[in-house]
Amino acid sequence: MAVPISQMGTVASYVLKKRFTGVKRYPLVLMLEPLFRCSLACAGCGKVQYPPHILKKQLTPEECFSAVEECGAPMVSIPGGEPLLHPQIVEIVNGLVARKKYIYLCTNALELKKRLPEFTPSKYLTFSVHLDGQREHHDYSVCREGGYEIAVEAIQEAVRRGFRVTTNATFFDGADPNSVRAFFDEVMGMGVEGVVLSPGYSYDKAPDQTHFMGRARVRRLFRAILSNRKPTWKFNMSPLFLEFLMGDRNYECTPWGMPAYNIFGWQKPCYLLQEGYADSYKELLETTSWENYGVASGNPKCANCMVSCGYETTAVIDGFGSLKGFMAMVRGTFSSYRDEQALKLLNETAPHGNLVQITEPEQALEETRA
Amino acid sequence: MTAEVQKYTLAQVEALEVAPGTEHENLEGWHPTLVTEDDLRDALAKALDYRGDVTLTLKSGERIEAFIFNCKSGPTLADSWVQYYTPTAPEKRKVGYAEIASIEFTGKDRAAGKHWEDWVKKYNERKAAGETNIALAPDALE
Repeated sequence: MAVPISQMGTVASYVLKKRFTGVKRYPLVLMLEPLFRCSLACAGCGKVQYPPHILKKQLTPEECFSAVEECGAPMVSIPGGEPLLHPQIVEIVNGLVARKKYIYLCTNALELKKRLPEFTPSKYLTFSVHLDGQREHHDYSVCREGGYEIAVEAIQEAVRRGFRVTTNATFFDGADPNSVRAFFDEVMGMGVEGVVLSPGYSYDKAPDQTHFMGRARVRRLFRAILSNRKPTWKFNMSPLFLEFLMGDRNYECTPWGMPAYNIFGWQKPCYLLQEGYADSYKELLETTSWENYGVASGNPKCANCMVSCGYETTAVIDGFGSLKGFMAMVRGTFSSYRDEQALKLLNETAPHGNLVQITEPEQALEETRA
Repeated sequence: MTAEVQKYTLAQVEALEVAPGTEHENLEGWHPTLVTEDDLRDALAKALDYRGDVTLTLKSGERIEAFIFNCKSGPTLADSWVQYYTPTAPEKRKVGYAEIASIEFTGKDRAAGKHWEDWVKKYNERKAAGETNIALAPDALE
């Protein structure tokens, strides 16, 4: 089990309380983006393509704290941009820890090793290090040779100092499932608490719109990756969300479950689509037409999205919101998901060269083989 | 996402192998002629998606360099506004559609040239030239 019991207990009691008090829409994780500036220039990233004057802006610690207090989510993910570039990031983290929020500080780890002495290990603080695969895959993915080495050194030092550490990876079309599985072996060997993963998604703001998998291909890739798990692998995610990625479950998007707050305000409707901003979380909830989002809505912008910021909340609420869901979650936590068909998928996958190979976009609509 | 997806049933969407993405227009340098109210609304909708600054000329003659990040498109121009940051002021500002006389896409498109293929091409060229520690650097902040 990758997520500590205390964190699971906090989330479970939060979900149950909302359920018993009849609250329909509530946040589980606040996506707090204190700045958009980044020290990497990953091709295709849609999060950091702004003019310099926007990249120089950042939230103050007070703005961060009031956003956290207003929405009340028990967990706070701090992506960006690169949060460690924020001059007051230590103050922000300490303030959130004092408020007993479970924080995932998402970092490319280029500066992490150097900055570790400024932070204090806590059950509330996890460094979530961006690693997109094995050495050459990661370096190619983040457009920086040597990036993997730096990140791994930082991970090892953070683990040595007693911090909670996870890795987070996004997989795009062309990802080699065998390599991804070998990558899981590598990162678990570094002593991380667990792995976080998500399929890429062609959200409108991403400059690159041609290398994203449709839902059938996502399910096939993740079935190959996540079936026949080794006992050493731990995932810092809901097992039910992983089953969703593998095609074992159908979920609808819960866009209000992981609201995003940044220098523009509260982002409508979710972390990846930018269809306006609200000045408060209350205004976000009240003025967003939530029925227009998610794959079932027919909104073409949501057609291929299966990412965690929309669907993991659904899985968590399912897991903690009913006995049936809870039992499924427990089963999933301890299952290896043995699957002969998935083994065949793995064997059918031709080994790639030593770098990520992107397949040519094929016919948009074909029969799924999953 | 393209309009292509709108033709699909939910079952077809679930069976998608490759996701057709949005085709971004090349808007850098565009100075649309605003004749009708729809022209203005269309241009401001594009400005909202644009990853660069635009220059708004108000009916008062004032010119504003702005990064537009939010809008409210109401039934009339008087009910509609855009929200923006300027390169020099720290606070968010708003201006009503009814006050805007023209819009020019004057700032650099910060998403242009950031495609995966652009990186692959650069990487292969630099690798062939014998370069090591190949990396893309973030845009300068000045």
